Amino acid sequence: MVPTEEAHELVLAFADDELCIGQNHSWWIAIGPFLEEDLAFTSIAQDELGHARALYSLLSDDIDHLAYGRTPSEYRSAHIAEFLCHDWSWALVRHVLHDIGEQIRWSAMTDSSWKELANTAQRALAEENFHLQHGLSLIRRLLSNEDGRRHLEPAILELAPYGREYFADSGHGLVDQGVLTMSMADQEQEWVKQVSDLFDEFDVPVDLNVETPASGRSGIRSEDFAALHDEMTAVIRIDPKAQW
Amino acid sequence: MKTYEVFLKKEGKDPFSHAGSVDAPDDELARTYAREAYGRRSEGDQMWVVPRSDILIADETELKLADRNHRHNDGQLLAELRRTTSSGES
Repeated sequence: MVPTEEAHELVLAFADDELCIGQNHSWWIAIGPFLEEDLAFTSIAQDELGHARALYSLLSDDIDHLAYGRTPSEYRSAHIAEFLCHDWSWALVRHVLHDIGEQIRWSAMTDSSWKELANTAQRALAEENFHLQHGLSLIRRLLSNEDGRRHLEPAILELAPYGREYFADSGHGLVDQGVLTMSMADQEQEWVKQVSDLFDEFDVPVDLNVETPASGRSGIRSEDFAALHDEMTAVIRIDPKAQW
Repeated sequence: MKTYEVFLKKEGKDPFSHAGSVDAPDDELARTYAREAYGRRSEGDQMWVVPRSDILIADETELKLADRNHRHNDGQLLAELRRTTSSGES
């Protein structure tokens, strides 16, 4: 099929989320809380950048331009993906919120009528299951412990409502066109259910209905984006012909 | 944290071999960390992750008994004998 503009927007927003998450996770290279976690977390970062690359390549042959060549208002990333989270508790909570969402989002694409997208989704979902398993095991472990919970709870309460932006509607035609097999609204409900169930297990009083000012899908960037963008475009600004 | 030993096996006849160790707070995370530390580039098709405390350790002094030549038969004498016998027959 020839992807519609709506489908294009959907993939661009997802790719931008993955790019920001991959870039943000990679900040922890060599400074993760312990060696094994450092390796696992930054390996996930690499996978997320791989997902971004795969999604951008569905849209254009010039993926470097899509990833690094646009002005900030041309990005479509959700604000929660842009937050720097330079505190380990925040990075871990965001990882879990993101990957619960990511698994749902890929699952809605594995039978897409856009064949290349379906193939990308099937490949990514295999990795995604592992990312989620990592995040859930670790956060459950830490929430079972008084000290861990004390660190994580503020991050959960603050960040969780922002996760809904992943499902900000990019059009109602996507299910009719067969691009998605589950509407964004249904995906959002599923995300809310999984996130609520997880934190209910530990009596964390999270309220997912708090209004957040997030509006990344419409081109408005969060405060943290400038620093993130600066870092991820550092090489290409020094040498626009750099190969990697 | 507990220490786990990690073993990898490639498809084919090669046996499992020791890849290294990881520290992890529980079995599930041990598997996750082992996979990332030793298997993320498809270094193996199968992996065993074993709590170090579950490994039975043999007595080193019994392993180090060196002067037992009879354990090191290289078959030379027997080969020699066979050669002489078969040349005698022809």
